[in-house]
Amino acid sequence: MDPFATLGIPRSYEIDLSALEKTHRELSRALHPDRHVGSMASERREALARAIEVNEAWRIVRDPIRRAEALLLLRGVGVGEDREPQAAPEFLMEMLEQREELSRSIAARDPDGVRKLAEAIRARAAEAERELSRGFAKGEASSLLGRLGELRFYRRFLDEVSAAEDERTG
Amino acid sequence: MALFEIFDPKAEPRPIGIDLGTTNSLVAYVANERPVAIADCDLAVLVPSVVTYLSNGDVVVGRRAMGLAAEHPRDTIASVKRFMGRGADDPETRRLGPYEFVAPQPGEPNSVRFRVGEGRVVTPVEVSAEILRVLKAQAEDKLRRVGGAVITVPAYFDDAQRQATKDAARLADLEVLRLLNEPTAAALAYGVEKKQDGVFAVYDLGGGTFDVTILLLEHGVFQVRSTGGDSQLGGDDMDRAIAHELLRSAGFVEARQTAHLVRRVLDQARVAKHQLTDHEGVQVEIPGHGSFELSRARFETLIAPILERTGTACRRALKDAGLQAEELEGVILVGGATRVPAVRRYVAGLFKREPLADIDPDEVVALGAALQADLLAGVGRSDDVLLLDVIPLSLGIEVGGGVVDKVLPRNSAIPCAARATYTTQEDGQTGFEIQVVQGERELSADNRSLAKFTLKGIPPLPAGMARLEVMFQVDADGLLSVHAKELTTGIEQRIAVKPSYGLDDATVERMLLEALDHGESDLKLRRLAEHRVEAHRIVEATKKALAADADLLEAGELAKIEEACARATASAAGTDPSRVRADIEALDAATKAFAGRRMDRAIVLAIQGRRVDAVEKSVEHAKGIEAAHAPETR
Repeated sequence: MDPFATLGIPRSYEIDLSALEKTHRELSRALHPDRHVGSMASERREALARAIEVNEAWRIVRDPIRRAEALLLLRGVGVGEDREPQAAPEFLMEMLEQREELSRSIAARDPDGVRKLAEAIRARAAEAERELSRGFAKGEASSLLGRLGELRFYRRFLDEVSAAEDERTG
Repeated sequence: MALFEIFDPKAEPRPIGIDLGTTNSLVAYVANERPVAIADCDLAVLVPSVVTYLSNGDVVVGRRAMGLAAEHPRDTIASVKRFMGRGADDPETRRLGPYEFVAPQPGEPNSVRFRVGEGRVVTPVEVSAEILRVLKAQAEDKLRRVGGAVITVPAYFDDAQRQATKDAARLADLEVLRLLNEPTAAALAYGVEKKQDGVFAVYDLGGGTFDVTILLLEHGVFQVRSTGGDSQLGGDDMDRAIAHELLRSAGFVEARQTAHLVRRVLDQARVAKHQLTDHEGVQVEIPGHGSFELSRARFETLIAPILERTGTACRRALKDAGLQAEELEGVILVGGATRVPAVRRYVAGLFKREPLADIDPDEVVALGAALQADLLAGVGRSDDVLLLDVIPLSLGIEVGGGVVDKVLPRNSAIPCAARATYTTQEDGQTGFEIQVVQGERELSADNRSLAKFTLKGIPPLPAGMARLEVMFQVDADGLLSVHAKELTTGIEQRIAVKPSYGLDDATVERMLLEALDHGESDLKLRRLAEHRVEAHRIVEATKKALAADADLLEAGELAKIEEACARATASAAGTDPSRVRADIEALDAATKAFAGRRMDRAIVLAIQGRRVDAVEKSVEHAKGIEAAHAPETR
């Protein structure tokens, strides 16, 4: 499946989210089951299958990690953590330290500390996304796996931050 | 069942919207393009969601049942919604309440069951069906004949709770057009009223459930961005907090709390809560035990933890939507519990603006449901309105070590589907156990188990060689179905997923049969009537499609489709339901390829930013547009 074709947009890492939202809305208008209550049974099924496909494409393209994975797959590069090369030891060490610091801030009930750490990681994630964007535009593929791997680490880090924030306010 | 006889076959069926609430339920319909709630013969709109099972076999619903509660605390089920889709051992069954629960015998479904009048045992689905029957009869009194219904559910309801709601409707003999999320229904009622675009938050604190939904309203499309909540948090919990306080002040220890006492104190707590909306303090009398003073300030201290829990869900929903409170256009209040002044103050502080409450918070959900029913039944005028909803909780599969592999993340747009591939852990393994869970926690045991099933007949292969594909699909009602396929041999196994909670299809069918006077023969007549309507509808839809997109037909296709139409029309005039069914299916097969081409065209037009209905109005214009624009979509 090519999520970019499903949504009728070019295969690019750079996306125009608001234009894409409009496309998703128009496709939903055409395909959503609520619009086919009075249709032929065959058409109801066809519309449902396509509505599901559109929503799946939308879920993939909207997400920086899944979008990168989809582009790599389309360029013939296998993705998934068990197939991608290990991250550099320095990067792993650094992430380990960052996470330890996060654990300390959480344990010390220091929300400002947590926020600062999260902001730094968010900035790095944004930078990795810019790198991916440049790389994909130049036609690169497997050389971008490292950046994708970084994004996965950042996401897990930020998930942990979210969980801690929910915990604190809950 | 006397209620079926009100049915007038000559009247035009009218779609209805139903809010099946924890405390109150109500039904609404659209009259002259405006939604209105339907009142009963006493001019009351709200039907208390209370059902009493009397020892003579009579079932009483609503206000009268409420009156019987003090005398029959065990036989009167209130707030049954809190038990929908719950297991017999659910913590909900251990909270303060007057009920007697029946533990399931080995082999019986794991569902909550109440022991009521004279040894009768009922499930929450049956209790809810009683409420739905009364609402349906109320609507039939007004409209002569009821068509399909849109029934609302809390956005945060999980799959088991939604399924239980749909089962209750089936048992009450209601055709469900759609299960609609309550906050989305409320937003629809406001949106149609105000016609203002922007991002809105809906804060819905009902009797037993809390929902928060963030949605974008633009050009008639209501797109849910995120949703969150707690399906066991509501006004009932405020009553319980007051009741605990009263029982403590009166010096009652748990052992001395009889069902009668608990029922009475809970009722008085509710009355006190209502009075505290307009008064600074109230006196609560517990006969024989004295009078107790409850100030509004003390009440607000008691409910502060409840408000904090709603705040956590709201903050997370905003974060999931990627928004700050300042970016909202408005906040909509839904649910009777939002009348409490402390709740309004809390919401205003949380979202940094005064919330909207100009539509009655008790009625707004049913009004929205009526609007949606009207749209779905094809009588609604506005082609522009569309509701796009999401799944409230992530869906996943338990993998090795009890860890959950998330297959569909929360807030995914519905309808949706996802696939995941797994492999065997041991050499020669021929069976594979799959556990489907719903929730956000990392460990399977901390989430809700929706279903467990075993895929058998996998060829014996070394560990890791067999590959198993599991496919999830969530429909527009938010209901899940699961299929599994073994990829090495290509053998597909469609597995009937046995729900972890609630009733299977056969049980619901049996209960339905028991509810009918003449069982089998009634059911056959009913099926025939349903298939006839379906056949006529599909033949009409086919003719419309043929007229609109004749240019998409291939040679000989038209003749085949027309023949199938003629057959379906002929068998619908006969009396054999299975023939009608078979001919509907044949027509379905004959139009499959044509329907596919029509959908391809609709997609191309949508991507071009054009509207399908514009095409149906001018077939000429549409001709050749697919060929002209197809390359641009690559």
